[in-house]
Amino acid sequence: MKRNRTMMITFLTPALFSFGLVFIYPILRTLAMSFFYVRTVTDGWGKWEFVALANYQKLFASSMFIQSLKNILNIWLWGGLVVFAVALIFSILLTSGFKGKSFYRAAIYLPNVVSAVAMATMWIQYAFNSKYGLFHTLFSFLGMERLASFQWTSPDNQFLAMTLAYCFGMVGYYVLIFMAGIEKIPVDYYEAATLEGANLLKKFIHITLPLLRGVLRSSVVMWSVTSIGFFIWSMMFSPLDPDVGTITPMVYMYNLVFGRNLTPTDPQLLNAGAGAAVGVLLTGLTVIIFAMVNLLIRDRKLQY
Amino acid sequence: MTTRKFSINRQTLSRLPGYLILNFWVVFTAVLIGWILIASLSTTREIFTNTLLESGVHFSNYVQALITHNVGRYFMNSLFYTVTAGVGIIVIAAPCAYVLARFPFPGNRLIQNMFVGSLGVPQIMIILPLFYLSSLLRLTNSRGLLVLLYVCLNVPFTVFFLMSFFSTLSTSFEEAAAMDGCSPVRTFWTIMFPLAQPGIITVGIFNFIVLWNEFFIALIFANTSDLRPLAVGLYTMVQSMRYIGDWAGMFSAVVIVFVPTFLLYIFLSEKIIAGVTGGAIKE
Amino acid sequence: MLLALCFLFPVLPLWAGGAQEAEDAVNLVYWSMWNETEPQAMVLKSAIRDFEKLNPGVKVAIQWNGREIRKTLQPALDAGTVIDIWDEDLERIVKTWQSYAIGLDEYYGQSYPTTGGKAFGDTTMGSLQSLLRSFSTDGKIYAVPYQPMVLVAFYNKDHFAKAGIAKAPVTWDEFLSVCAKLKAAGYIPMTIDDAYMELPLGMHLNRVFGNYEAVEALAKDKTGRLWDDPRVLRTARDFETLARNGYLSPQVESNKWPAGQQEVATDQVSMYMLNGTWLPNEVKGTTGPDFPWGQFAYPVVDPAIGASAGTYGSQGFQISKKCANPDVAFALLAHLTTGKWDQEMAANTLGAPMDTGMDWPEVISDCKAVFGSLESWIPWSGGLAADTDAFPVIKAEYTRLLAGKVTAEQFVANIKAGL
Repeated sequence: MKRNRTMMITFLTPALFSFGLVFIYPILRTLAMSFFYVRTVTDGWGKWEFVALANYQKLFASSMFIQSLKNILNIWLWGGLVVFAVALIFSILLTSGFKGKSFYRAAIYLPNVVSAVAMATMWIQYAFNSKYGLFHTLFSFLGMERLASFQWTSPDNQFLAMTLAYCFGMVGYYVLIFMAGIEKIPVDYYEAATLEGANLLKKFIHITLPLLRGVLRSSVVMWSVTSIGFFIWSMMFSPLDPDVGTITPMVYMYNLVFGRNLTPTDPQLLNAGAGAAVGVLLTGLTVIIFAMVNLLIRDRKLQY
Repeated sequence: MTTRKFSINRQTLSRLPGYLILNFWVVFTAVLIGWILIASLSTTREIFTNTLLESGVHFSNYVQALITHNVGRYFMNSLFYTVTAGVGIIVIAAPCAYVLARFPFPGNRLIQNMFVGSLGVPQIMIILPLFYLSSLLRLTNSRGLLVLLYVCLNVPFTVFFLMSFFSTLSTSFEEAAAMDGCSPVRTFWTIMFPLAQPGIITVGIFNFIVLWNEFFIALIFANTSDLRPLAVGLYTMVQSMRYIGDWAGMFSAVVIVFVPTFLLYIFLSEKIIAGVTGGAIKE
Repeated sequence: MLLALCFLFPVLPLWAGGAQEAEDAVNLVYWSMWNETEPQAMVLKSAIRDFEKLNPGVKVAIQWNGREIRKTLQPALDAGTVIDIWDEDLERIVKTWQSYAIGLDEYYGQSYPTTGGKAFGDTTMGSLQSLLRSFSTDGKIYAVPYQPMVLVAFYNKDHFAKAGIAKAPVTWDEFLSVCAKLKAAGYIPMTIDDAYMELPLGMHLNRVFGNYEAVEALAKDKTGRLWDDPRVLRTARDFETLARNGYLSPQVESNKWPAGQQEVATDQVSMYMLNGTWLPNEVKGTTGPDFPWGQFAYPVVDPAIGASAGTYGSQGFQISKKCANPDVAFALLAHLTTGKWDQEMAANTLGAPMDTGMDWPEVISDCKAVFGSLESWIPWSGGLAADTDAFPVIKAEYTRLLAGKVTAEQFVANIKAGL
């Protein structure tokens, strides 16, 4: 095939230029900015004051930042386990010959397609309401009084409520992925296993899981990336100012750079440099998780 | 025949718990959405005293939301951003994916890895300098800025997705076109690009959904009453409803935002699902 | 198809750029803190159109930002966006944005069509002017106030009457007996929302310490030693009593604003612990125009300190340093905040008028006396918000205290641990 250099350059340049503009330049600048005190985000680097690691130290000395890290790790770990478990169960059910597979799959994926703002409003204003809400009505109907009076949106419980609502919406995406992965596994393996007398659990552990390895690995990475960017749900549960139960690093950064809501912002407390430091830390976290996943879930190229 | 009927019955019975869980999940979703629908047709007082629809059906909530709350403008904004950016993404990403997939050259793998790596970068890492750049160029609070950002941010994923499509196409097309004296650029746009239609349509729809619901970038870069897209607009409306105490109106705004996505989803669910799975399974 | 796209792209920037401007008109850009559908926005819109009619050649472009303006204004100003006028709460507008605004003392000395020959400064509330000067770093006036407000406790006069309560409580003990009587009559005495949760705690601490600097010191204290002060424990015990006696709504823990306000508006609860004069306006969709609202100042806790301090203030307009037509801008502000439109604003938004000679709307009439009686100012939250890390911890713990989940001693201990 003839290689035409002009064509290659014309075709590659716009994409590479946009990449440099939106990824390479910002990443480098954010990294640099994290070592300076920057009063507002629009200051040119002439106005930056070099503070070395002071931004990072201040972050780790802030109890709200530590709390946001705790929250995000809990969401990542427990939320991830729950979502993956439920998604695996659903995908196995749906790939074992149930009727109406497409319907169920589409219905389960639906919450993922709807705007998170809309879903969050539905959950907060209806599902979790302690007077007329869905859970309250359901549990009262079933006679479970203690659960019916559970205060979902109280400071103690709103982390649980938020994570639950978030996971509900995320399950659909992983059901899709896992189903596609399972459907690639040849049926002969399962049939051979049935002939040998294996039950459902054995089939799952010895056939499904190993052959889903690659899919699981990329799903864990996907989940890590999306849960680190947890923002909208926190904003919906605590629209005015962050709460202990809902703060995440991205919300923390948003308040640090753009100011708070209920109380007047002391201009001296704003620091875009510290905001940049939050970004650097989060990216570092993603890289660590990615490396861990690569180490723990070795994806051997299997032939089948 | 009889054996088959018998085995279906037994199978169905053993699958009952599975059906129960699935149905419960689906019913839960339906109730959640259904209640919002009903509440949007009631009044705020009725919502709080749990006496929905006691005073009849209030379509006026929707009229209010559409006219006074400017949902129509948010809708048009979202349409503009999504369609323009969607087209822009394809125009930039498709040629790039084509070159990366078909032509080995030094740096090809590096570029591919860079693109894939960028998918893991949290947006928080890049928005601060972007805000600085846009203020420097005096682009803040303009529609063009948001389109530009949407295009640039989504090119890597689309390139990644389309690369696999282009690599499956046979090279005979290009060879035939070259023999006919067709320039490589023309070959791409008139032959290869149309051949990749299924993939392009799929990723196009996928991008559409992502951009339609996008929140964070719009919150930072397009947060004035003229420019807001639907997701941020809904957020603003929900906040403002709290100040006027109009919860029925809030719910009708939620429904208005939710319905287009829902309808699109009903008609295109297979394609959307194909887009989601296609991108994620490739190793 | 591709050709069509190529033609489309150049056209788009035109729409992307925005509206054109007339050549010789005076153009002002106003970023408002109101949402377009709030009553205040409706009144402002009419008032501005009225001004444009009286002053042909002046065009005002309005952006209705809602409270998001708190986050979006400064970045926009820094990025060079043309914004001539903006408004927000008085404290915020001076403390956060003073460096972006012009000093207005000179304009205060002039007279305008609506001031009847007097200088502007003579017709605008003196207490708010002093407040404005106290907020600024140089004692100058940096804003034009409107919609005075004060934080008070709200109650349902009908419930009080039915429970046999003759007058509103003045001291904490009277307050407790009011709650007891309400409970005996079968009502839920009071509630509050997460958005205002820390206000009673802040006020109470001010009532026992006597000044807000002490409360700010409490919030900023990282060692926890200041929290050992017996007055803190006494405050916690006072609220523990409320919870133990069942004076609080069972939803108080999970009320996401404005759910608590709706509890009062739908007759389910008698009192709202602390809120601003805007409350009746915010729930008038549910209550209708005839709700029997009453207000009283936060009770006296320590008779030596009394109740002469309170949180009061207003909204205010500011003019940008970069405004090309500050004279016209100030004339607009005078037009909006005095005379006819001051009255319209008060009437349509159930808010307080700037004109000291006018009565306040019926639903907030008790507030006027409270506002007039205040001698010193307390910041929002009483000073608890002075430390952004401690604040959410204090708020969460206080919610638990009100819900009866912790005792007063645990409250203090938990906060000390969380600081």
